[in-house]
Amino acid sequence: MTQSENGNGLVLAEKYYSQYGSRARELKAAGRKVIGYLTALGPVEIMTAAGVVSLRLKGNVSEAITKGDAYMETIVCPFVRNVFDAAVKGRYDFLDGMVLPHQCDSIDRTDDVWSDTLKLPYWHFLNVPHVTDEPSVEFMKDILRIFIQTLEEFTGEKITDEAIARAVTAHNENRRFMRELYALRITDPPLISGAEMMKVLVAAMSLPVDESSALIKGVTDEIKHREMPPSTEQGRRIMLVGDQVDDVAIIEAIEGAGGRLVMDDLSIGSKMYWNDVDATPDPIQGIAERYLRKLKLPTTFVGTGNNYQETLEARFGHMKQYIEEFKVDGVILFVYKFCDPYGFEVPAIRNFIESAGTPVLYLEDEYSISTLARLKTRIEAFLEMIA
Amino acid sequence: MAEGKKPRSLATQAAAKIAKFVRGNMSATLKAKEEGKKVAYAYINDGQDEIMRAMDIVPAWGESFAGVCAAKRDAEKYLQKAEADNFSRSLCTYATCTIGFDMWREELGGQTPPDAPWGGMARPDMIIGSAQQLCDPRFKWPQATQHYLQDVPVFVGNMYYPPWDPNRNHHEQEAIYVKYAKAELLELVRFCEKHTGKKMDWDRLAGLVDLTEKTWNLFIDTYELRKAIPTPMDTGDAMNTMVPITFNLATQDAYDYYKDLNDELILKNEKKQGVIENEKYRLLWGAGLPSWFALGDFQYFNDKGAVFPAEVTYRNAEKIERLDLPATNDPLERIAWRWVRFWTHWYDKARKRPGSSPKVERIIEYIEDYKCDGVVFHSAFSCRSWHAGIIHQAEILRKVYGDIPILIMEGDIVDISSYNEVDTHNRIDAFIETVDAYKRKGN
Ligand code: SF4
Ligand code: SF4
Repeated sequence: MTQSENGNGLVLAEKYYSQYGSRARELKAAGRKVIGYLTALGPVEIMTAAGVVSLRLKGNVSEAITKGDAYMETIVCPFVRNVFDAAVKGRYDFLDGMVLPHQCDSIDRTDDVWSDTLKLPYWHFLNVPHVTDEPSVEFMKDILRIFIQTLEEFTGEKITDEAIARAVTAHNENRRFMRELYALRITDPPLISGAEMMKVLVAAMSLPVDESSALIKGVTDEIKHREMPPSTEQGRRIMLVGDQVDDVAIIEAIEGAGGRLVMDDLSIGSKMYWNDVDATPDPIQGIAERYLRKLKLPTTFVGTGNNYQETLEARFGHMKQYIEEFKVDGVILFVYKFCDPYGFEVPAIRNFIESAGTPVLYLEDEYSISTLARLKTRIEAFLEMIA
Repeated sequence: MAEGKKPRSLATQAAAKIAKFVRGNMSATLKAKEEGKKVAYAYINDGQDEIMRAMDIVPAWGESFAGVCAAKRDAEKYLQKAEADNFSRSLCTYATCTIGFDMWREELGGQTPPDAPWGGMARPDMIIGSAQQLCDPRFKWPQATQHYLQDVPVFVGNMYYPPWDPNRNHHEQEAIYVKYAKAELLELVRFCEKHTGKKMDWDRLAGLVDLTEKTWNLFIDTYELRKAIPTPMDTGDAMNTMVPITFNLATQDAYDYYKDLNDELILKNEKKQGVIENEKYRLLWGAGLPSWFALGDFQYFNDKGAVFPAEVTYRNAEKIERLDLPATNDPLERIAWRWVRFWTHWYDKARKRPGSSPKVERIIEYIEDYKCDGVVFHSAFSCRSWHAGIIHQAEILRKVYGDIPILIMEGDIVDISSYNEVDTHNRIDAFIETVDAYKRKGN
């Protein structure tokens, strides 16, 4: 069906970006079950194999929190609060259930606030460990099996190893397509703007994997055949680092000030797409290893180096590679207030990147455009500084 | 030292001995360095006490250090130090306070910063954390500390427990959790062996597990003496008497301390000697770490005729028989079972009361056992672990238990900038009026 194959990829991305979740809503109306989930730790392969539509949840940075605060403290990270507020207001009223992976305290400590308030037919807290050693991989496999069992009970269908293996292939392919699209950002100027890319990333996480892949392929084809890149002006090449930044507002602030967002290390961006699941005889092994060891999230403790420098390389080395490959001039580290996992590593990341010669701007903010004016000034000053 | 604050007058002699205890713990780290013993930065309730003690590793507790700085109203200089290197003010202030101290000591080439409370903590030989299901700082804090103490090896283990889900029987998952916790404890043993150059003495470890279980039992027996009317000890004291069970678990000193406290409370009960002369209202401290710089607020409650015979905070122990632990001789497995069951042992009860939750069941149990007329929560902005979800607990409590007066106070553990004494006292006044009306209604 996909229009994207007919050269309308960006239009379709815009549609799914601005009407977030609309495709899942349609599929629900057509009789499919829809499971919402939070964060990059949602094991999409298993949900795909279960035959449910998985929808990664986002909030709306333009919308003030009006209902959620009656149930959830303001010391919870603003992203989680905003998504919760959206859910309470009925924006996701078509969900059959949700999966909350144990990403951080803001999620772990609010699990029952979510479940008791939303009262969805299916609920699961996936207790992902924060450590990556061998016993943790074994444990991760165990909790993935529990997750599978609960999904089977919910759908009434067995999730076979074959179905999981097929889903692994489909999601790996999806990631490969996205990496191919990212590669179009390497040129100067990049063939796709940061704002366009954000819309594709957001749209992609709202679709079943086959439709997501078709969308990405469609956008890639379209971009490749573009006569003119979005802007021929030279601009400082920026990489954005953070957790779930899922709106164009901050990117427009960067690009509006003459910067070019050419790469990210975001949890809806490269963190998601850079690492595949290995096809292992027991497909759960590969899935456990990817989510625990390959996803470079600050919520997993990595202590594998023989010394501190090696440990830093294991944690942040990929960022240096991105800087080189995407010819990044400056890094913006964007962290939400009350986020301990990201917040505690700001000095380390900053030091690591700056000591390799790339300047870093650290911004702490809300998940809201209300404070954007203040940030814009700092972004402009940063871009001027690195000009 | 910053502006002083008159300390709260303590009801028990045992609580008055705590300053010495805390000071002793801190100076033990400095002394250990002189004696060539290994010092580890450690974090409370991680289930790692017996292993560290069995390996003669002296723990240096960041939470204690930060708490002392806060109680002396002298944490700001450390918080600012951390903030200057981009640690947000919204992060756990126990961690940022301690990291600020570490940063400063490194700048001084390893010398303790001037005016550090009670001589400060020693520079550690290792950092032992746990990404257990208590909070993110438990594994981010060690990692962030290593940024300043780069030569110091870090271990982070894990110890989870089955999540609460009213529709699932958590007992089916316990074995997975215990297996994992035990494996992680073994990883810790290997780490300690590597960095001390000593082998674990497994018999000694088993003896320390016995001692810990005995201490948990005695601690609960002692605290249950507070059920008496009038109560002989309240939460204001418990914020002191928690020190041995929290920071000195698996030591004879901790056991002996509760023996003394037990004797003291029995005596007080015999004499019907309460915390205050005319006990009018009995309150439960339902959740939340206290504002260490404002412990005097407990006195304020006392002055209004209110006492706290029980609290959830720092009561991280239970009578062993209530945990119904499976028999095993493996000390690591015993530690794993004890903690997994501690965190989950209100689940079965909660499942029996539709709409309830384990945290609320625990609150209800204390309200009933300790005959409380109201519940006070404290919401500290820099710690999500204990403080996110309090509104929800209060809501469930109202729904499943009834309309008991509830006060949610807001502040922080260390960061005094969030605190306003006048506002706090006004809120307490209004709450006491509500409790009074509630009691008059015959509840
Ligand atoms: S931004 Fe931080 S606190 Fe919020 S969900 Fe992500 S990791 Fe958790
Ligand atoms: S439990 Fe709270 S106060 Fe304690 S270390 Fe964790 S975040 Fe900090």
